[in-house]
Formats: sequence, C-alpha cells, structure tokens
Amino acid sequence: MAERVVAALQRRPRREREEEVLVWPDLVFVEFISAVLFTVSLVVLSVFINAPLLNRADPDTTPNPSKAPWYFLNLQELLLHMEPAWAGVIVPTILLIVLAAVPYWDRSNEQQGVWFGTANSVRLTIWGMGVGLFGTIWLIIYDGQKHVEWTENIIRGLGLNRDFTWPGGLDWARDLRSLDTRINWDDLSFTIGDFKMFQDWRAIPLGIPGTTEDPWLLNLNFPSFLSQQLIPVATMIGLPVLLYLFTRHKLGWIYSRRDTAILIFSGFIATYIVLTAVGQFFRGEAQELRAPWDIVVVEE
Amino acid sequence: MATAERPPARGFNEQLYDLFFNNYIWKSIFRSGYPNTPRNQMLVVATNVFLHLHPTRIHRTHVKITHTYCLGGLTFFMFLGLTVTGVLLMFYYVPSVERAYADIQALETNVRFGSLMRNLHRWMAHAMIITVLLHMMRVFYTGAYKPPREFNWVVGVILFILTLLLSFTGYLLPWDQLAFWAITVGTTMVGSAPILGDESKFLLLGGFSVGPNALIRFYTLHVIALPLLAAIFMAVHFWRVRRDGGLARPL
Ligand code: HEM
Repeated sequence: MAERVVAALQRRPRREREEEVLVWPDLVFVEFISAVLFTVSLVVLSVFINAPLLNRADPDTTPNPSKAPWYFLNLQELLLHMEPAWAGVIVPTILLIVLAAVPYWDRSNEQQGVWFGTANSVRLTIWGMGVGLFGTIWLIIYDGQKHVEWTENIIRGLGLNRDFTWPGGLDWARDLRSLDTRINWDDLSFTIGDFKMFQDWRAIPLGIPGTTEDPWLLNLNFPSFLSQQLIPVATMIGLPVLLYLFTRHKLGWIYSRRDTAILIFSGFIATYIVLTAVGQFFRGEAQELRAPWDIVVVEE
Repeated sequence: MATAERPPARGFNEQLYDLFFNNYIWKSIFRSGYPNTPRNQMLVVATNVFLHLHPTRIHRTHVKITHTYCLGGLTFFMFLGLTVTGVLLMFYYVPSVERAYADIQALETNVRFGSLMRNLHRWMAHAMIITVLLHMMRVFYTGAYKPPREFNWVVGVILFILTLLLSFTGYLLPWDQLAFWAITVGTTMVGSAPILGDESKFLLLGGFSVGPNALIRFYTLHVIALPLLAAIFMAVHFWRVRRDGGLARPL
C-alpha cells in the first residue's frame, strides 16, 4: 500500500508538485481562523438572540397560520397550489432523485474544478435565476388572486370606472382553483349518439360511446384534477422545458449538457428560495398572502 | 518512528524547544516534533487521526478561500458544534410530554449557560442547513460533481436529506406550540403520500397524531440514529474526496 502511494507520488509530474502547498500550515491555518470566526460570531449571536420558546404544546389550540420549520416552507407553499400528494411527497422525491442523477447525465469531465467553467455559464446562471425568481413570484401572485385585486384597484384608482370589478367572463382566471369552482362544468356536458358524455364531470365514463349502456366510471373529479394536478404538474415540467428550448434555440446559449444543467439548476435554486421566502414572510392567517408586517399568529 | 530534527546550536530557545517538544511524553502523544519544518509539517498531518482527514499537500488553487469558501468544512464544523452543545443539552432534557417543556424552561432560567447552549444549538442547526445548501451550490457551479466524483455528489445529496431530518426531528423536542404544530404540519405532508402515506406517518409518530410516542421517536432519531448515520456518510464523503484525488480541478 505505502509503496504504491509513494510510487504514485513519484510518478506525478514535477510541475504539479511545485503547484502544491503543505496542508500544515496553509490549509490548517484557514480552517482554524474560520472555525474561530464562526465560533465567536455564533456565541455573540446566541448571547443576543434567544431561540424561540412559545407556550407549552396544546393540541386544542391551533395557531393560525401553522407553519412547518422554515426549510420545509417551500413544500408547504407548494401545498397551497396543488394536490398535497404532489406537493408534500412526489415533487420533493422526484427532485431529489433528479438532483442526485445530475452527474450521471452530465458526464463530460471538462470544465471541472473552476467556477463557471463554460463560456456562457454566468449569463445562464443569471438568466435562469431571473426567470425562476420572477416566474415563481408571478405564479404565486396569480394563484393568490393578487392580479385581480391589483387590476380592480388600478382601474378604480385611475378613475376609469369607480365600480369596476373583475369581469364575470374572466372568473375562471381568478386563480387555479377557479377553473374548478367558477366554471359551470355541467353546462359543458354533451352527448354523442345516445351516450351522455360528461354529464357529471366528477366521474368520467370510460368505454366506447354507444357500445355499452352502463359505462364503467373512472372515479376522477375532472375539474379538480385539472386545477390541482394536471395544470400544476404541467407547469412544473413545462416551464423549465420552455425555458430550455428558448435559451437553446432563441438565445443560442446552450452548447452542452453542462450548460443545460446550469440553466435548470439556477432556475431551481431561485424557485426554491422564492417558495421558502414566501412561505416564511408572506403567509398570514389562513395562509393568505400578506405583507410581512401584517402577519399575526392567532390561536384558535 | 520519526526522529526530530534537532537544531545544531543549542541556545536558550533550543533548550526550551527540546523541553517542550522533544521530551518523552510529547513524543509518545505526537510522533512528530513541533511542525516547524516541512518534514514535521507533513508528518503531523499524516500521523494525526484528525488532521489525517487531509492529504499532506494540496494544490495551490484549493487553499484560496474563494474556491470553496470553506463551506463543506463549515458544515462539518456546525455538525461538530451541534454534537457538543447537543450532548450538554441532553444532561438536562427528558423526552417525556410531562417534562420536556419544563426542562427547556429550566434550562433557560436555572441552568448556568443553559440558554447559551440552547441558543447555540438552535442557531448552529439553522446555519448548518444554510451552509450545506451553499456548499451544494459551490460544488455545482465549480462543476465538481463530474467524473470521477459522481458518487460523492450522491453521498452529498444523502447528507443534505439527513441534515434536514436532523433539524426536523429536533424541532419537536421543546414541546411548545411552535414545535407541536410545525411537526403536525410536517407529518401531515408525509401522510399525503399516495402509497404508504398513512403507514409512514404512523411509523414516524407512533400513533395518529403528535403525542408522547412521537416525542420519544423523534428524540431517539435526533440524538442517536440520525447523527450516527450522518457521521457514517460524512466519513464516506471525506474518504471519497481524498480517494477521488482531492478536490476537483481542471484536467
Ligand atoms: C453534512 C453535509 C456535508 C458535509 C459536512 C460536507 C463536507 C464536505 C467537505 C469538507 C468537502 C471538501 C471541500 C469543501 O469544503 O468544499 C466536500 C466536498 C464535496 N462535497 Fe460535500 N459536504 C456535505 C454535503 C454535500 C452535499 C449536499 C453535496 C452535493 C449534493 C456535496 C457534494 C460534494 C462534492 C461533490 C465534493 C467534492 C468537491 C470537489 O472535488 O471540489 N456535499 N464536502
């Protein structure tokens, strides 16, 4: 063993040897200084800021809003926009698997060990983060009906129409759930031959029209499936794909898998931060969007 | 094993040096002399179990702070600090619904440095999550996951999950309103899994809702199972950093 290590060391080119420094003192010194710095600043922080301790746990009084620890608020935020199974379990599981798989997909070993190795990596990072940031904020605004509130306020405020309210014809565009609750799906039913299609969108009949009297019903509430599963999932997959296609073909910034990875990872990081921050700072009573200073926790 | 490089002239300083670093007891503890010559500097790293996490020499670019920002090291530092403060907290804390909250209160008011220890433990836990995320970002943007380091990236992802779980299981222990409801929200999310959701939630809580069984489960996971797992994976992580030829650099 030792001989092999020594032999390997001797085989290394001379030039490389000269590029090396001794761990003691060069590295150990840096480590020591940063350990001291962090010990001191954490102690100072802990002297001045106390860890929270509220009243004793009481299963009968629910704080509103109830929040998970901050590092899971990204998932709790997702929970407001889609089926809990997706937000709480499936999406994070898939994300972690994809994250772990990155090196098995982006396998070229070029540009390793330097910050932002590829020619376009800095702009891809900024662009990906920018799109992730504003895209996520915009989606949250939409699903919080803020665009409705703001449009009403602006039109009223400009004096164009003092009694303006969001038009009924656009009720379905108030937020995601409006697709389910504000459209009269029964009106959209139709018949094919003597087969009544989608009279009840809460159970989809399966079977070839006209062949059976009593079709097998797929117990799927289509309007809710649309707003709580299909659209959110399509958004989470579709928007990154669109971002990729646009960046590759319109902007022409992507030359390798590494570039794609940088773009998508950057978008993901920004989205992750926005979701966490919104969950932490902008969700008040009943998880409504609120300004940070308007958030109070009531116990009920 | 190692013989000291004794300075030729023996003035007062040299005699003092010998007194401290060339005596029988010192040499029985540290095989090398004081690390003031390149030879001893390498020996001290190679023969000390803790320093031995490092190679004896590394590439010049990797000691630049802007290459790693010390982030992996800082994450490990937080882990060590959490272990120390955590052990101190364990002296005072009993994981039973009757006592937990009162123990934390007592720690804050009656125990000397108790609230300092608790605060340190709490802030270091938050800091560790932040540093682990930043470490992952630095590894990503320096392309350090590329071959042959694919597997160490996967080990890293596991460490990231373990860090989150460590923090989450600790969150319940003070048994205050914050703890109770945060864990209720968190475990409800687990329960919504399409397959085995209710089962995993039950397994985690030892019941249908957060109660005494959940407290003891979270405690056990928090103080022994997860730290042990994390330590094992960290050992693999550091070992692999060295086996994969030190930190990544351009070919
Ligand atoms: C408890 C968590 C972790 C600890 C204590 C830790 C510690 C370390 C340390 C000390 C290094 C040496 C270089 C440096 O400081 O940057 C390192 C390198 C590395 N870490 Fe981590 N790490 C952790 C989590 C992660 C995560 C979450 C990832 C990625 C998903 C990761 C991937 C890597 C890789 C690929 C390297 C090699 C980097 C290179 O060759 O430049 N680690 N880690």
